[in-house]
Formats: sequence, C-alpha cells, structure tokens
Amino acid sequence: MLKALFKFFSSLKLTVACLALGCILVFWGTLAQVHLGLFKAQNEFFRSLLVYWQPAGASFQIPIFPGGYFIGTVLLINLLAAHLRYYQPGKRKIGIALIHLGVVLLLVGQMLTDFLARESALHLRIGETKNYSEADRAYELAVIDTTDKDSAKVVAIPGSVLVRRGGATEPELPFAIRAKTFYANSELADTNTAGFEPVKTTVGAGSNFWWREVPRETAMDRVDLPSAIVEIITPQGSLGTFLVSAMLTQPQPFTFNNRSYELLLRPERFYMPFSLHLIEFHHDKYPGTDIPKNFSSRVRLQNLDNGENREVLIYMNNPLRYQGETFYQASYDPDDGGSILQVVHNPSWLTPYFSCVMVGIGLLWQFLSHLIPFLKRRMAVSGSAGVPAASGAVRGNSGRRDAVAPRKEKKKS
Amino acid sequence: MSIHPTKRSGGKFVWLLSLAMPLLLVAGCHRDETKVYRIAKDQDQSSQQTAPALPTDAPNPKLPPGHPDISSAPGEPAAASATGAPQLTWKTPAGWIEVPPSQMRVGSFKVAGADGKQADVSIVPLPGMAGTDSANVNRWRGQVGLSVVTDDELQKAAENVEAGGQPAQLYDIAGTNPAGGGAQRILGVIQHRDGMAWFYKMTGDADLVEQQKPAFVEFLKSLNFGAAAPAQVEMPAAIPAASGDMGALLSAAAPAASANKPNWQVPAGWQEVAAGQFLVAKFTLTGDGGATAAVNVSSSPGDGGGLAANVDRWRGQLGLSPSTDSLATPVDIAGGKASLVDFSGTDARTSQPARLVGIVVSLPDQTWFYKLMGDAKVVESQKDAFTQFVKSAKY
Repeated sequence: MLKALFKFFSSLKLTVACLALGCILVFWGTLAQVHLGLFKAQNEFFRSLLVYWQPAGASFQIPIFPGGYFIGTVLLINLLAAHLRYYQPGKRKIGIALIHLGVVLLLVGQMLTDFLARESALHLRIGETKNYSEADRAYELAVIDTTDKDSAKVVAIPGSVLVRRGGATEPELPFAIRAKTFYANSELADTNTAGFEPVKTTVGAGSNFWWREVPRETAMDRVDLPSAIVEIITPQGSLGTFLVSAMLTQPQPFTFNNRSYELLLRPERFYMPFSLHLIEFHHDKYPGTDIPKNFSSRVRLQNLDNGENREVLIYMNNPLRYQGETFYQASYDPDDGGSILQVVHNPSWLTPYFSCVMVGIGLLWQFLSHLIPFLKRRMAVSGSAGVPAASGAVRGNSGRRDAVAPRKEKKKS
Repeated sequence: MSIHPTKRSGGKFVWLLSLAMPLLLVAGCHRDETKVYRIAKDQDQSSQQTAPALPTDAPNPKLPPGHPDISSAPGEPAAASATGAPQLTWKTPAGWIEVPPSQMRVGSFKVAGADGKQADVSIVPLPGMAGTDSANVNRWRGQVGLSVVTDDELQKAAENVEAGGQPAQLYDIAGTNPAGGGAQRILGVIQHRDGMAWFYKMTGDADLVEQQKPAFVEFLKSLNFGAAAPAQVEMPAAIPAASGDMGALLSAAAPAASANKPNWQVPAGWQEVAAGQFLVAKFTLTGDGGATAAVNVSSSPGDGGGLAANVDRWRGQLGLSPSTDSLATPVDIAGGKASLVDFSGTDARTSQPARLVGIVVSLPDQTWFYKLMGDAKVVESQKDAFTQFVKSAKY
C-alpha cells in the first residue's frame, strides 16, 4: 500500500497534473477577481484546500476544484518523493539536488508566508506618533477594562471568532460575550430610513439607530463596516444587549462587579514595542505636471526600551526594516498632510531569496558540470593536430557542426 | 534523467509524510486568536477608532517625540484623535444651534424656522470609502420617499461645493417625509478625504432647508480640518503591569490625570492655558522677541517609574541620550524631597535649540513632575521663578 502511494506521489505525471491544475486555478482565480474582488478571490481560490461552488439558493457548497493549498501541498510532496525516488547521489547531481531543494524551499517559504505573514497599515498625519498599526479589513471587538487609573486592560476578540463561534468566553473576562447578530458589512443610520430596521438593543446607544446588512465590499478602495449586537452574559445573568459598530465613534460603556468596561468594534490593532513619529511627508511631482515623481516620509523611530532614537527616510522601494516589521511607503492623504505606511510582518521573507540563490547555484552547477567536460573534450580534440574531428568524437550540436564543417572544407579543397 | 525506483519506497514515504506533517499542522493553525494586553490608558482608544476628532477650540499641543499614541478619552470632546484625523472646527451659521453629537456624529446642529419648522445638520465621518456614493445618495433618496436612480443621473445631479478647502459633491434631494407626509428636503454632501468618507447633511422641512442652503454651503466652506494634534502629555516612565502576548508593548505609561491641582503661587507673566487631559496644569511663558517656553505639571501614583527613567525621557525630548550618571541636584521643599535637572539640547519636535529644567517632587504616595522647557533665554530668565513656583506648591 505504502509502496503504491509512494509510486503515485513520486510520479512525474502527477507533477504535470499539478502544474496544469495550478495553471487553470491561477487563470480562473484571476478572472474571478472581477466579481469577487482581490481578497475574496485570494481566499476562495488560493488560500483554500478546495474551491467550492454554491448552487443558487442553496445553503450548502460543493467542492469542484482543488484549491491553492491542496495543489501546493501535493506538489511539494511530489517534489520530495520524486527526488527520493530518482535522485542518485554523486557530484554531477548536486546541481539537480540544489534546484529541487530551492524549489521546495520556495514552496515551503510561500506557505509559511501565507500563514505567518501579516499586513497592516500605519496612517500617520504629520506630527503624529503611533506605536500600532491597524488591519485593513479585519475587525476586533475590544473589551476594555478602564477601571484602573493608569492603564487599561484590553481583551481583543477577532470579529471572525465572534462570527464562527457566535461569541466568546475568555478566561481574562468575568463574563461571556454572545454575538446575537453580526453583519460583516452594514449601514447604520441615526434616522429612520427606508429599508433599514431599528436596532434592537437593551443597553447603551443602540436603540436610536437603524441598520441593515449590505453585501461585502469587493473593491480594493472600500472596506466593510461591520456592526453587531452583542450580549454580555455574567454568571448572575445577562447585562443586556449592546450595539457595536465600525461606524460608531464612541465605545459602549458598562459596569460589572464594580469594574468599568467599554465595548468597541474597531480595526484589528497590532502594537509594536517602538513608535514612529511622522516628521514630514513629501509628494514630489515632475515640474509642470501632476505626475508623481516620489513619495517619501521622514519619520522618527524611537524605541524607549533600548534608547534608540533616529530619523529614517522611507520612500518608494526603500522601506524601513526594524524588529521584524517592514514599513513601505504605500499611500498618502489627498491633502499631502499624512502618510500611509504598509506594515509587513513576515518571518519568512528571506526564503525566496535563499531559494533563488539555491536554484541559481544548482543551475550553474548543472550547466558547468556539462560545459567543463565538454570544453575539455573539445580542447583535447582540437589538440590533435591536423586531424579533423571525427564524426561522433565530440558530442553535442557544436561538435556535430564541427564534425561536418571539415568535410565541407575537404570537399572544397 | 534515469529512473531507479527504490526498493524501500514505503519507508521513504513514511519519512516524507512525517516531513510534511508540520506543514500541514501550520496550515491547520488559526491565526484568529484573542489578544490580551494592557496599555497605558491614553493609548487605549476607544473613541477614535474611526477617528474623527471632535471640534475644539483648545490649543493644539504636540506629542513628545517617540511617545506612544494617545488621544482623548471617551466623551472628552476637546481632544484630538489618536488616529491622526485632523481636528475639525467650523463657523456656526447664525440661527443654528449646536447640539451634542450622537454616537455617529462629530458635529450636530438644529435649525429652527418659522412655524415650528426644523432642520437637522450632521457631520458623520466613516472609515474607508464607506460604500459607493450612489448607494449613499440613494439611501438619502429613500429617506424622502424617492426611488433609486442610476449613477449617471446622480452624476448629473451633483453640485460641486467646497468643504474644508477641498471639493465635494452636494446632492439636493426634495421629496416627502414618509412618516408625516410633509415636504422634506435633504442637502447631502459627500467628500472623500484623509482615507475617510465624510458626510455633511441637512435634513428637514423643504422650505427651511431651501432657505438655509446658502448658509449650509458657507458652513461647509468654513470647515477647518487643521492638522493632526495629539494632546500634550507628560509621561512618567513607569511600566505598568502587562499581561498576555502583548505584554511587552508598553514602555511608558500615562500619569494619573485626575490628580487635584495643588495650591501654588503662579509667577507673574505666566499664562495658564488649557492642559491636556493628562496634565494637571500648563503655563506658557513669553520672552523677548516672541520666544516662548512652557511649564507642564503632571503627577503619578507611586514613584512614577523612578527619577532616572523620567530624566532619560526628558533627555530624549531634547535629543539627548540617556545618562548613566546622576544629573539631579536636590531641592528643598516642604513635605517631601525634590530633584532638579537642567540640560540643553535640540527640541526633537521643532529641531530648535531648547533648554529643559525639570523638577521631580517625590511625596510619600505620589510623584509630581514639573517641566520648564523652551527657548534657552526664556528658560534661563524663568528658572528661579519656576523653582519658587514648585516650592510654593501645597499638596
């Protein structure tokens, strides 16, 4: 059984099949972005084991095609298995081994990037300082214990957890949170509006609002604005239901056991042990035109832990890399009064470089391992004075041409 | 490539699977985990996630360089936004009554006309692009009983106006009140700026809204978004207890902002101004030629992180590196002990030469931080007065 499996997974036909499926998936997924948008298409086609199809009106989904994770994993196993099956140790095969290992590293690195990398945005107005970035699209329900005078304890529950589990019970909180309704994208109005329903909450500023669920945003320049009704459930019973929304500018306060809490639905935050202060932002244009020439942000990086305090210029293709975070110049405010930095946390960012170097060395090794013996033979042949290279004495196209040419010369003479 | 099937392929496959398992486990891991951490109270926001700053006439002090992000506490209308959204101010038209903004609004007004006619004006910022313009305008149309129109029709109906120095589109929508049946009109303006969608809207009796339209347009012009302006904070270097995976994020904490102001004798010429929410008091001092300096007073429970850490923090504000030597000289005060530091450098915010004189007063259960900082000549001339001011404080 294992032998048969090994034979299957080490088959070169499987390699071709995976590559073909991969091509189809990339083509299909690219087209799907038109309707689904980039993020949804990425998740459904490439960051999934299977691609599903949902019949119109049905509540179930049918898997119809292997997804990116599936194809990538099979290809990885196939590559390793084929290497084990076909690889012959020896000096001449080191190049092949390096090429294979490089590709394996590329696949593994990409998988790690997909799972470990995190992208967020740091929006700074000129003169502003921040020590956290925010997710572009992910939201979190922040439950903030504001009782203590100096600091606040934050329990940040991802919105996806609330949706998936219908709530959260965290050991750090003396109560449970139940998401009674969660709209991943919504509209909220503070006046009675046609098509909107009254928000039915029992506590806080929710009862004076109307809302409705709207389709998820797919355009790159728009984001979902989630809203939810959550219920706080203590061991003694419910404290009531609250409206939380990305559109509310104030948190929803409540007290329990003589401690003060606030509820807030906000973009997911990623704190850093250092801060960036935007000193100036430049949006240079070519003279006499509105064509952008350069965007740059001069920031002051301050790390109070190690006393580091320095200015850094971030501009296109010149990111700041610091403590595992990379800050790219990504965008800016229309009034040029602020800068938006893309913050990328990617522990495996070096793997593509290593894999490319490995593949490059492997290719070079493999090429030279053929070229050098060939040149040696060629030199040996040309060293045989006056003796035309005999047909077949030198292998390869060049050799064959050489072998033919003297004959022609011979005929001419 | 030659093919040499192995005889021990089964064993190799087991090895292969074991190699792939960690990858599969990684693939199975969920990154959606609850985070628990503790932050300085001013960092925790709360009210400014979507970030519009509330209108204020308060001074617009800057945050010390390197300071963690701060912003107003919930419900404090006179502070800036932590997200850097500009501070919004406006000129209220005659006859408009400003009312406290609701949860969604950063500005709210009532306009009363003849015969009990009323109109409501709101300013609502939403993050991102907040839906398409057509969806929002059609929603407004629905509020006055009108049907949905196409993008092209909306484009034709849009009037170009100016709001806060930038262009915006105004939609004048007249219909009827679905509830009451009376004529109702909406002046809705959409503007995309600073990565947010801003909605300015006047809704009310049709006649009154029509009459108020010029005032509304002028009101839009008067909007001033200013610049990012986090509140001034004096931060002791105490490291509060932290927990969870974000425990290491804190390197500074805010002092208690609620400390009562001591009784003190304010020197002549000092101008007390509104303190940031984390300051107990703030004074501005003006010298010859318009040179200025400022005195900030704050306090913290306990030792506020210790003298050395706070002195280093002050040194950082002047671009100086932390010092391992004790730079403080004792100052005699009643009821406790105090230490004075004095150093010069370059103000990291303004890049101008500056001098800082700081006095840390340690009481049995509280620490007070007095800082005189600004133009070197002004600081020199006010140093004695500053010291006397600190000594005069009765806690």
